[in-house]
This record gives sequence, structure tokens and C-alpha cells, in this order.
Amino acid sequence: MRAFFLRCANGFGAALFLGLFLVFVVQIVARFGFDRPLPWTDELAVVLYVWIILWAGALMVPEREQVVFDLVWNAAPRVLRRWMRLVGNAMIGGLSAWALPACWDYVHFMKREGTPVLGIPFMWVFLPFVILLLALVVRSVLGMWRAWQGLDLEDAGVPS
Amino acid sequence: MSLALWSLVGVLLGGMLLRMPIGFSMLASGMAYLVVKQQDLGLVAEQVCNGLYNSYVLLAVPMFVFAANIMNAGTVSERIFDFCRILVGRMRGGLAQVDILVSVIFSGMSGSAIADAAGPGLVTIRQMLKKPEYTRGFAGAVVVASATLGPIIPPSIPMVIYALVSGASVGALFLGGVLPGFLMAILMMVVVHVIATRRNMPREDKIPWREWPAILYRGALPLSMPIVLLGGIYSGAFTPTEAAAVAALHALILAGGVYRALSWRAFIGVVLESARASAVITLILAGSFMLNYVFTAEGIPQAVAQWVDGMQLSRLHFLLMVNLLFLVLGCFLDVSVLLLVFVPMLLPAVNALGIDLVHFGVLVVLNMMIGLIHPPFGMLLFVTKALTGIPIGEMMREGWLFMVMLLLLLLAMTVFPQIVLWLPQTMGYGLK
Repeated sequence: MRAFFLRCANGFGAALFLGLFLVFVVQIVARFGFDRPLPWTDELAVVLYVWIILWAGALMVPEREQVVFDLVWNAAPRVLRRWMRLVGNAMIGGLSAWALPACWDYVHFMKREGTPVLGIPFMWVFLPFVILLLALVVRSVLGMWRAWQGLDLEDAGVPS
Repeated sequence: MSLALWSLVGVLLGGMLLRMPIGFSMLASGMAYLVVKQQDLGLVAEQVCNGLYNSYVLLAVPMFVFAANIMNAGTVSERIFDFCRILVGRMRGGLAQVDILVSVIFSGMSGSAIADAAGPGLVTIRQMLKKPEYTRGFAGAVVVASATLGPIIPPSIPMVIYALVSGASVGALFLGGVLPGFLMAILMMVVVHVIATRRNMPREDKIPWREWPAILYRGALPLSMPIVLLGGIYSGAFTPTEAAAVAALHALILAGGVYRALSWRAFIGVVLESARASAVITLILAGSFMLNYVFTAEGIPQAVAQWVDGMQLSRLHFLLMVNLLFLVLGCFLDVSVLLLVFVPMLLPAVNALGIDLVHFGVLVVLNMMIGLIHPPFGMLLFVTKALTGIPIGEMMREGWLFMVMLLLLLLAMTVFPQIVLWLPQTMGYGLK
């Protein structure tokens, strides 16, 4: 179930990334090959970029690949590490949950406005930010659950 | 300091000390500030989403990451390696010299120090470890030091991010890194030569003449990349962002088409890895959008500027102080935090003192590179250790001379801005 979910998230992320690359290729070919700059490529590239970053940050990047400060962690005994995981996740997850409704309101509100060339409503452009916040809440709850059970407390931290 | 600002600092430091991802800690600290200030939390979404949407220049980051990953997966490093062995392999400590030259060439195609260590660095470390004359620590130290060339010699991911933060021209920044980059490379080769002569390190075997044409041909292909890339940017043919995509396309054609060293499966792996690495870099940036919103609302950069103004510092004193500050902060913080949190705070003071933004930018990036190679937060040391198993302590013991050399160069660049600014000015950038 989890593996399937990750595969889907990865597949979609890879498609977005390749899409971004292809948009650039099209833009460059149109400009240099046919001397015909396309008005929509820049805009589509930025939209794809926003999606890639927030989507990958929400669902593709495992915690061990994130940049962390681990001096305290490395020096801490297991008991303390457990509390570090519990408090840290409660803080990040709690604040994300707190911000979620207001952020959704903002993103939802932006459906009135469209991007200048393609007219894509900004709600769809900014939607992955809400997904990111949701993922932070879910991940934090999971992280707390695992810490409570005494998991993920090794030197290297979270396995995946 | 207001209560809201205290809560921001508390959540930010708390999150970091508790080993939460730095980008998410920044985001959460901004949320805490808004909660205490009783402001609309939707501001978080507004700042982050609009910040990303309006940063067109940042699109260069995923493309440069993509290009470097393709080259690493497509054995481009190995081809450059043989090419450089012909050029400098016959010197004493030949493999170490080859490593530095490979890094120079690779840096002309990649903008990331980590990619440089993981790609060409790993190739040369493996070769060096086969010969008993090279200690583990020395091999690691040379690779770690030469990897810092990646973001100094253009293209450069940190310079792109600095350009976004400061408004300086990406093209001028790239040019500003050329001369310092070559100086670094030359000085590193001198250091290697001194150590190699003293320890009587071996030269590489002669490569027979008849093998030369094939090796030179294979190695010359990747060499065309920096020419296309920089030529394209400076002739105005394409923007730095497009150049990044061209670099990725060039790498893809080389690795997939010419060398046939990239399977479909490996390619998908490269795409996924690039998406993840781009997200890791950019999420910290997204968190910093929120932090910088708060700092601006609280008037912190202006306060810093006034404070600096009150001290009546000269430009040189200010820059020396910044170098010192970054060196100390680099012991506690990741270099991305230095660039994204501290640089925006200092920029009003930089402008007030009339310091050139390109000069300041190149100094900042060199400071970051020094931060990458000294403990406890030296990411390049960690990466090299993770890839090769060489203990960090051994690399430090063998590498201190490179560190001293980099610090001296930093000092020289601080005192003589022309080392950075001569080339951009010669190429006609309207700098002061």
C-alpha cells in the first residue's frame, strides 16, 4: 500500500520534471530553430516548477534527505531522542494544521485570478502548497506514532 | 524585540535543535509569528506561493541539478579523467593534479559542489586509493577541496540564488567567479605539488601516443559544453535559465546518444533524484521567503544597516567583519541558511556602503564553500565520507593547507575587489 502510494507520487513527480525539461526544449527550439518565441512556455515552466518543488517536498523527499542540524541528536541518548522526535513533530505538524484552513482559504480565493497568458486559475497553480501542509500534518502524526513506539531513534535518524 | 519575533526565533531554533528539517522549521517559525501577531495565517501561502511563482531565475536550479546528475550517471567524469591524465598525469602526485583539473572542467558544466564530489571526485578517489603512496586522508582532502570549485567557476547554483536575493545580474556574477576559480585551481595545484614532492608521490604512467587521439576526442566533447553555455549567456542568445536547460540537453545527448552510457532505467532514476534534490534546496528557500517577510515587517535589515552605519566602518572593515561572521556562523548553520537568512539582512548595509553587489556575491559564495569544508557542518566532508568511508578527521588533518590557502584567497579577494570585478567590467558590465 505504502510502496504503491510512493510509486504513484514518484511517477507523477517524474512526469512533472520531464514536462518542465521538455517545455524548455520547445522554447529554445522555437526561438532558435524557427525564430518564433512562444508566449506560453515561460509561464507553463513556472507553473510546473511550483508543482515540482512543492509536490516533491510533500510526497517524494524522505526525511533523511532533508538538510538538518544533527549535533544535538548525535550526542543525545535514546530517551532524549524520543522526546526530540515527539516535540519536534508536534510543533511542525501542529503549526501546519493550524495554518491549513487559512492557507486553503487563500488558495481557494485565488481561483478568481488566472495566469496572464494561459489563464490557468491560480488556485490550481498554488494547490500543491495545501498538499504540502497536509503532508506535513500526516507525516508529523506518523513520526510521533513511530517515536512513541521507539522507532527511528538511530544515529542516522529516520530510515525512509 | 516583540513577543511575536521571540516566538519565531524560538520555533526556528527549537526545530533545528530537535533535528527537524531546516526548511520546515523556517516555515513553522513564520506560522508561529503570525499566530502570536494574530495576523491571517493565509499569509504563509501567499508569501511562499507568490515567492516561488515570481522567481523565474530559480528555474535554473532544477535544470543545473539535472545536468550534473545526467553527467554523473553517464560516465562523463570518466572521459574527462582520461583526458586530464594526458595533460597533468606526468606531474608528481599526478592523480591529485588530475583530480583538480577534472574538477575545473566539470565545474564549467555543473553548478554544485556536492555533484562535483559525488561525480568526478569519486572517480579519482577510487584511483588514488589503489596506490599506497596516497593516504586516504589526502585523497579525500584533495577531492573535497577541489569540489569547492563547482559553484565558483560558472555556472553556479548558489550564485543564481544570490542573484534572486540581491537583484544582481546572474551573468556578471558568473563572470566574476571565473578569475577567482582559476586562481583557486592554480593554488590548489601548487599545494598538491608541494606535498607530492615532499612525500615523493608517484607520477602516472605514460599513455602511448597512439591512444591519444581517441582519448582527446572523447574528452573534448564535454569541453564544448562550457563554451556553448557561457558563450550563449554572454552573447545574449539565451538567458541563464535557458542555458541551464541547454546544459541538461547537451549532457543528455552526450551521455545517451554519443557515449550510450545511460539506460532508460538509470535515466528515470536521474529524473527522480533531480526532482528530490531541487525540492530540498528550494524548500529552504521557500521557508526563507516567510522569514524574510517577517524580518522586513520588523525592519530588521534597516536596523542592521543603521547599526553598521553607526559604527562608521569602511567598506573593507565591513567586508572583513562579514567574512569573520560567516566563518563563525558556518560552524553552527548550514551554508544555505547563511545565504538565505543572513545575506538579505546585510544587503541594505552593503548598498549603503556602496559595495558592489557582484563583488559581495562572489565573496559570499566563497565563504559558503569554505563553510562546506570545515566541521562540524561541512556538508562536503559528510558527502565524501558517506561515499568513500574515509573518516572526516583524516581528511581534516591532511587538508588544512587547502583551507589556509582558501582563507588567504578570500582575504585577497576582499582587499582587492578587482580580482572579482576585472573580468565582468572588461566584458562591459556597467559596474561601479
